[in-house]
Amino acid sequence: MTRLTGGLIDRNAPLNFTFNGKAYKGFQGDTLASALLGNGVQLMGRSFKYHRPRGVVAAGSEEPNAMVELRTGARQEPNTRATVAELFDGLTARSQNHIGPLHRDFLAVNDLLSPFFAAGFYYKTFMWPKAFWEKLYEPMIRKAAGLGSLSMLPDPDDYDKGFLHCDLLIVGAGAAGLAAALTAGRAGADVILADEDFALGGRLMSESDALDGANAMDWVASAKAELESLPNVRIMTRTTVFGVYDHGIFGAVERVSDHLAVPGDKVRQTLWRITAKRTVLAAGATERHIPFADNDRPGVMLAGAMRAYANRWAVSPVKRDGDAIAIFTNGDDGHRTAMDLIARGAKVLGVIDAREAAPRFGDYEVFAGSTVTGTKGRLGLTSIEVTRNGRSEWHSVGALGVAGGWNPNVHLASHHRGRPVWNDDLLAFVPSPDGPKGLIPAGAAAGKGGTAEALTDGMKAAITALSEIGVAASEIALPKAENMPSEQAAFWHVPGTKRAWVDFQNDVTVKDIALAHKENMKPVEHLKRWTTLGMATDQGKTSNISALAVMAELTGKSIPETGTTIFRPPYTGVSLAVLGGGDTGPLFRPRRLTPTHHWAEAQGAAFVEVGQWMRAQYFPRTGETTWRQTVDREVLAVRSGVGLCDVTTLGKVDVQGADAGEFLNRMYSNMMGALKVGMVRYGLMLREDGHAYDDGTCAQMAEDHYVVTTTTANAGLVYRQMEFAHQCLWPELDVQLISTTDAWAQIAVVGPKSRELLTRIVDGFDLSNEAFPFMACSELTICNGLRARLFRISFSGELAYEIAVPARYGHALMQRLMEQGADLGATPYGTEALAVLRIEKGHAAGAELNGQTTAQMLGLGKMVSAKKDSIGAVMSRREGMAAEKRRLVGFKPLEAQTQVMAGSHLFTQGEAQTMTSDQGWVTSSCYSPHLESYIALGFLKNGAERMGEVLIAANPLEGKELKVEVVSAHFVDPEGGRLRD
Amino acid sequence: MTDLTPITALGGTVARTEVFGALTTTENADLGLASLSLRAGQEVPQPFGLMLPGVGKAVSMGDYAAFWTGRGQWMIEAAGKAEVDFAAMLKSEVPECSVTEQTDGFTAFEIASTQGARPIEALMAKLVNIDPKAFGPGQATRTGLEHMTVFLIRRAEDRLAVIGMRTLAGSLWHALAVAARRLED
Amino acid sequence: MLIPHPLLGLRDSQEFTYLGDANLMHRPDATAENAEAQFCDYVFQRENPAGVHRELWFHEQGDRSWLVVTRDTTTHEILGAELASNVKLGAAE
Repeated sequence: MTRLTGGLIDRNAPLNFTFNGKAYKGFQGDTLASALLGNGVQLMGRSFKYHRPRGVVAAGSEEPNAMVELRTGARQEPNTRATVAELFDGLTARSQNHIGPLHRDFLAVNDLLSPFFAAGFYYKTFMWPKAFWEKLYEPMIRKAAGLGSLSMLPDPDDYDKGFLHCDLLIVGAGAAGLAAALTAGRAGADVILADEDFALGGRLMSESDALDGANAMDWVASAKAELESLPNVRIMTRTTVFGVYDHGIFGAVERVSDHLAVPGDKVRQTLWRITAKRTVLAAGATERHIPFADNDRPGVMLAGAMRAYANRWAVSPVKRDGDAIAIFTNGDDGHRTAMDLIARGAKVLGVIDAREAAPRFGDYEVFAGSTVTGTKGRLGLTSIEVTRNGRSEWHSVGALGVAGGWNPNVHLASHHRGRPVWNDDLLAFVPSPDGPKGLIPAGAAAGKGGTAEALTDGMKAAITALSEIGVAASEIALPKAENMPSEQAAFWHVPGTKRAWVDFQNDVTVKDIALAHKENMKPVEHLKRWTTLGMATDQGKTSNISALAVMAELTGKSIPETGTTIFRPPYTGVSLAVLGGGDTGPLFRPRRLTPTHHWAEAQGAAFVEVGQWMRAQYFPRTGETTWRQTVDREVLAVRSGVGLCDVTTLGKVDVQGADAGEFLNRMYSNMMGALKVGMVRYGLMLREDGHAYDDGTCAQMAEDHYVVTTTTANAGLVYRQMEFAHQCLWPELDVQLISTTDAWAQIAVVGPKSRELLTRIVDGFDLSNEAFPFMACSELTICNGLRARLFRISFSGELAYEIAVPARYGHALMQRLMEQGADLGATPYGTEALAVLRIEKGHAAGAELNGQTTAQMLGLGKMVSAKKDSIGAVMSRREGMAAEKRRLVGFKPLEAQTQVMAGSHLFTQGEAQTMTSDQGWVTSSCYSPHLESYIALGFLKNGAERMGEVLIAANPLEGKELKVEVVSAHFVDPEGGRLRD
Repeated sequence: MTDLTPITALGGTVARTEVFGALTTTENADLGLASLSLRAGQEVPQPFGLMLPGVGKAVSMGDYAAFWTGRGQWMIEAAGKAEVDFAAMLKSEVPECSVTEQTDGFTAFEIASTQGARPIEALMAKLVNIDPKAFGPGQATRTGLEHMTVFLIRRAEDRLAVIGMRTLAGSLWHALAVAARRLED
Repeated sequence: MLIPHPLLGLRDSQEFTYLGDANLMHRPDATAENAEAQFCDYVFQRENPAGVHRELWFHEQGDRSWLVVTRDTTTHEILGAELASNVKLGAAE
């Protein structure tokens, strides 16, 4: 055990966990990383490319090395950073990216082959021979890549989302964030304080600083208690604000139960969209390291992380108690780690300070003007080489802390392409002044990392932010704090001939950067892609600036001249599950149910998704073994008796106003204004470019009142288009529009016996052909007083009606029609029979109204009135459109029982099948039980003049073709007598 | 009276109600609805004595209520009038306006809290991107909820109505129920 | 994004449907001599500027009003929003 005294762990709450199958103990408050270190485990994983043994480098979400797989079964989760995985009892964790045991990874051979894996390796190697890519390279890379593995099982947990609004969002609950929250909270502002950690305090938890002369955590506890007591403050721990979006919108993930073995009743994570009037970015800073030879051994870590492990988790990062720890630094900050380690009883070899004028703050050895130039220890650090003026000596150590300076966490400030600005005093990039509007960086994130200055800066940022939105906030009494010494030298890496790692996770070394430079990949963007630097899961949090510094040295330019990297969301990885949200499977999207849905379900109907709608597709009966049997029966029943179909899904728009008729005249290509009250007209809408858009009916209920129907698919779009025309084109017209699609259950009653059936339910309404002819409509009552609307329209070519009742009665009406029509052979039918009926009649539907066809092609050219302007009218008369010779025709295969494939292209017999000889194509096809033959519709060049011609319908995708005869599209009752009788 | 038997939007013969901790959600199947739109140049009328509310507001008086739905457009609510031709009643009040029957165009779910505003506001945070703090009693709006379009009416601190498309009743109930259930945890 | 609705205040852009160039409001006169050429421009020609753009947004999940929103396409800064019908009626006066 390598536990020290103190810390923020609960020693009364021991927790059991396993790592690679071996059992260990930790404590409540531990992360997996701190618990492993507490058990003397340094080796936690393997690097991506070379499979080098790796240990933990950091103590927070920036961790590049300690990537593990958590849990088992369906909850197995790869690529989790051990540094942010909260320990819970029963946690099982495994290292990843190795074949065989972690300490003897088979793929470590890659390390020996490293000369072949240099910068640009992927680009250079996998390019040739070309044929190798698909068969060899890609499968090989895929197998090796991705680090951890997926369970391949469905995620058993629930995910949630939500929306929050606040005056002030504070990102980060360290010294600056807490000061900002107290300031804003006391001012009465609505505050959200979010932190990715599970506890408040930020870096205060990891330092030994005193506040008001006492333990800083006492102040954190009192601040927390006060904030919790304020109803206007919402504290969100375990919440990562991962992205900044436009106008003060932030994405955040709350890990609600990641820290529990099983979520139980809770959701696993919640995706929050936070709309904030102002934001204080108090996200702290991330320490960088100093590349030197063989700096990637387990046991080498960031000095600030080492301090965090010692102070917060009471852990010494060595394998065995008594192993010495050394610090390698370019500034004062490294000395703080030495001081804290000594104070907690760890054995410190000394501080190797690159500066000649290195200070000494306590009782430890200082190696001034010295650097670390080598390390030893196969699976964990055993010794380091310290060099001064070319003279080297080896020292035994169990761990080495590296302090290269702190980089403000500028990430969120650069999400809107705000370029961070170089600060020569801090030797770091600070947030851009052109960052997202309303976002104010504060504390270490703004380069003010001293505790005293962070507290003050947080308070001031809150006051400034709130004053911008008219909320007066006062300065608060801040605890007395000190700024620790923070002098540092611009010392970026230790030159040498051996490999010195810059990006640990992606195995990018100083040499790789030099090679990229030699190969002229100098701009940062090229450097990044050529070497894969910063492209791992940590996105280069600990490596980008070091890499930039190395490149600057090679090019002889300054760091800001060399460039900078800006960041995109997300700040840390976000699981696809939480972005996907909660509902999956049938609940994935809302479902619209027709008024007869439950009835159809009880009849055993098969359903089909049509947009959001669930529509009855067909109604199988006992004994029917294929859907075709069912559909054939339904079609024949309609043509011989009476069929019933729920057509509620058609869009219905109520159009009223003094100018309603004129408005519809402009919307539809044909005349609508001259309709008569009590009559319906078929209408064709064009797009403004002249192509056919939608068809439907227009029923005139009163002088100033029309009910318009649209196709199911275009219901929302046509309604939107009508609003556009009304508000953006002709607001002077007196028109009121409102959808009534859902209000009315509409049932098509179709077939020669439809009139007889309806006669049995209407309240004395005269349905005779004279009183209620084809294309008539009326309001009436049925079934003893239920208000209804009746339309005599036909989609099938049969005598047919559509009857509408308030939606709540649709179910009962269908039942009543079935009862009353039992002796007439009343038969419910679904969308399949509906399609067969309309193809038999030659009515265009979605396959023909596909946005590429014109009124002429559809045989509806005469519907584009020349007497008036309407949407699309002018463009429909363009030369090319007017010259269009393709026409909608019917096709019958010469072999009646051979299916014509929709999408087939048409060719003259004996001609080569090329683009230029193409005669048209098949749009819709079905089996017609009426004709006992397959039939089809399609567009054919000069189609109207080619009746009787035999063509080839070619399906080159399947290598099939068949002969079809050109016939009228109206397979049934071409004269239209049936629907008028 | 017709001899046909209606079903509710959720498909039942009686309105559904369910308790989720502090929240109770009830299907309001008896609510009569009709839309009222002004014609060009018309003055705002006062159907059933209602002072039709301004942008984003709702009013109620006795069994009648109204909420703003768009420029010159309101939805008029009538408690217990689902079975009568409420649109015709409204039309006779305002013969010069455009009136459209909407009773069965929508389903109204009434959510009531036993613990004041907090549970209502917590529920809103899980469902709609509307700031509950700016959506007090008397406010009404239309917005998106789980890819559905709904009207929200804050009837009181502790009462919220969610009015969605009738054909989406099942999906809307599911969304409300899941969110309310999660607040119980 | 948040769209500053002239009646309803800041609203989530997800409530809106985006159409594009506000010049779509200027539908040509079908009786003009060169109507076809004008319609071709109207239907197919767009400025598509990098910068300030007047464009049409439809508050589909809201009060169903069409808005003319002035937006900088390079920064997403929104400089104003008006009811399209007011813009159209104002232009007609």
